[in-house]
Amino acid sequence: MTMVPGNWYAVAAEHDVPAGHIYRTALGGNDQAIRELAIWRASDGAVQVWEDRCPHRGVRFSLGEVVGDELRCQYHAWRFAKGGACTFIPAQPDMKVPGSIHAKAWPVAVSAGLIWTGVDPVGEPPVLGEGAAIRAVPVARPLAEVETALAQADLPGLALTLQPLGDTETIVRGLVANGDCAAADRALAALRRQLECVA
Amino acid sequence: MILYDAHHVAPAYAVRLLAGFLGLPLELQGMDVYPGHDDRSDEFLALNPLGTLPVLVDGDTVFTDWQEILAHLALAHGPDWYPATDPALVGWLGIARDLAASAGAARLMQTFCVPGDLAEAKAQAERLLDEVERRMWFAERAGHGWLLAGTHPTIADIAAFVSIAPCEDGGLSLRDRPALRRWCDRVRFHPGFVPMSGVFPPMANT
Amino acid sequence: MSTIDPILWNDWHPVAETCTLLSGPPVETVLLGVPLVIAADADGAFHARRTDDVPLHQDERYGLVWVCLGTPERPVLAIPEADEPDRPAVTVGSIRVQTAGPRVIENFLDLGHLGYVHARYLGDDPHTQVLPYKVDALPEGGIIATGCKMFQPQASPAATEGFMVDYVYKVERPLATCLYKANPVHRDRFDVIFLFAQPVSEEESIAHPLLLCLPDGTTAADLRTFQQLIFMQDKPILENQVPKRLPLADGAELPIAADKSSVAYRRWLSKIGMTYGVIPAQARAA
Ligand code: FES
Ligand SMILES: [Fe+2]
Repeated sequence: MTMVPGNWYAVAAEHDVPAGHIYRTALGGNDQAIRELAIWRASDGAVQVWEDRCPHRGVRFSLGEVVGDELRCQYHAWRFAKGGACTFIPAQPDMKVPGSIHAKAWPVAVSAGLIWTGVDPVGEPPVLGEGAAIRAVPVARPLAEVETALAQADLPGLALTLQPLGDTETIVRGLVANGDCAAADRALAALRRQLECVA
Repeated sequence: MILYDAHHVAPAYAVRLLAGFLGLPLELQGMDVYPGHDDRSDEFLALNPLGTLPVLVDGDTVFTDWQEILAHLALAHGPDWYPATDPALVGWLGIARDLAASAGAARLMQTFCVPGDLAEAKAQAERLLDEVERRMWFAERAGHGWLLAGTHPTIADIAAFVSIAPCEDGGLSLRDRPALRRWCDRVRFHPGFVPMSGVFPPMANT
Repeated sequence: MSTIDPILWNDWHPVAETCTLLSGPPVETVLLGVPLVIAADADGAFHARRTDDVPLHQDERYGLVWVCLGTPERPVLAIPEADEPDRPAVTVGSIRVQTAGPRVIENFLDLGHLGYVHARYLGDDPHTQVLPYKVDALPEGGIIATGCKMFQPQASPAATEGFMVDYVYKVERPLATCLYKANPVHRDRFDVIFLFAQPVSEEESIAHPLLLCLPDGTTAADLRTFQQLIFMQDKPILENQVPKRLPLADGAELPIAADKSSVAYRRWLSKIGMTYGVIPAQARAA
């Protein structure tokens, strides 16, 4: 099982996206498609989750840069505003940019220090409780295997959620109730080693 | 100061980058390493028998090790970049050297078709990148932005940056190493930054 | 008989620089998925062979070793400027890029990126407007873009000041392109820069730039270094284009008037029925 439409997925922590930075991640779908994501903040702090692909010539937005209130693509410097509309094309500075040119923006929710998105997500993101966002740990195994291993593991005080990167890669995210991120990281690193060496 | 230099050689870029941050003028002596092999010429080997780039000539002294050049320039012109009392500096410079031998080597194989064991270079680089990512993430949570504790970047940041920032040229990925991507941004936005092909300068004010 | 796109299978592709072969060990490379070894013998003659020893066709031109895996329908691309005695052919090396060959060629034709990807060299913000230019079909197949103009701060190693540079671009074969640009010293004659994309697989290429520049005091080493610097600025862009194969359907990506040559290139590839390293118009982009 990979990404299911209707579900919310945590794809970043709030601290992953400081002002001016473009965070890069992906969501692997049950249709085999890998949706790459670029996540950044407009100057009012509003989190933008976009498909990581400029509509012009397909370059990843995450290679670009946040300039003022806009994201600027690295290839031809087209600028895109909050929401995704293209606002300026430097090769044709006098042209009014057609409304049809825009980045694909994804739904966004911010809760429990995590940034959530999904395909047509329903309702609110799951409630993970209170705590500090742990370091996200990528594991080179399918989501179902990671899920089984987590269910069997003894990880007290951790509220975890899984982000499928593709058919064979999964990111473990979550919160640690007592704030001890270092202990949580050691536990998840051990789990990662165990899962990856079985492969 | 004369720097024997090739644009794409990461350790040579490290010296140009530190000179940029320190505002030091360098006289660049460009070398046609690929495919010209200027680095195997008798003239160059007389200067540096190991045949490696970069080489710095400062007055009467010839420096042939890139990290020694960084240390020399920092000690002479910007002691903030060389925290001699912090033993972690030695550890980080070692990691940076290992990164150059793995991520840096993979980049040369995947750019100039340099022969070598790509799978081994990448596997070693993956292990190092994971560890640097882990340390950087915890450094950020502790309020630090650089490899060494403190508010100022050091030659360790420069030495590691020149292998990490262009590592995707070598077929490695920073996608799941978010703390490294943020740290690369901090280096790129530090005043005096100079780019190398494969590492974009900030566009904001260009 | 190969099932690989006959357009590329029966065409010539550069696979190694002769200067590399003369000064070093044999070159191992891959063309259209076929592993090759190219070596120089003691007499300085070059020999390309498939590692499975199936025969191939070989030629040597412009400092490059060329190979055709199928049945050549025509000779290696003719470059008349290579016969002009004051223009030595300078090869720049084999530069690997993890993307499809047509993406590499399209990037070479692209005017809109010069001021950003090659800022301070081949263009500069805010002089990034792409003025209207003309694109025509070439009688023998391919396309030509004329009347291209770009302000360039440092158009070549010899340039001492920025100036408005006139360009002509040509694509004569699917993976061979060139540009003619005014030389900063001989402003009435043109430097010629070729770029050949060796298709390693559908999504991997090796770029072989070739320079035919007029004498202006620049050494071959300086020309090479400059061209490597420029191409390595394009490498991360190319490797971050998604999908790697060039989508040929109109509307698969969103061109503007400045992208006229790219649109014409994609349409020409569609028209000749190219299938390797592209997403044909009838197939849906992934
Ligand atoms: S690909 Fe983004 S602006 Fe052209
Ligand atoms: Fe370019």
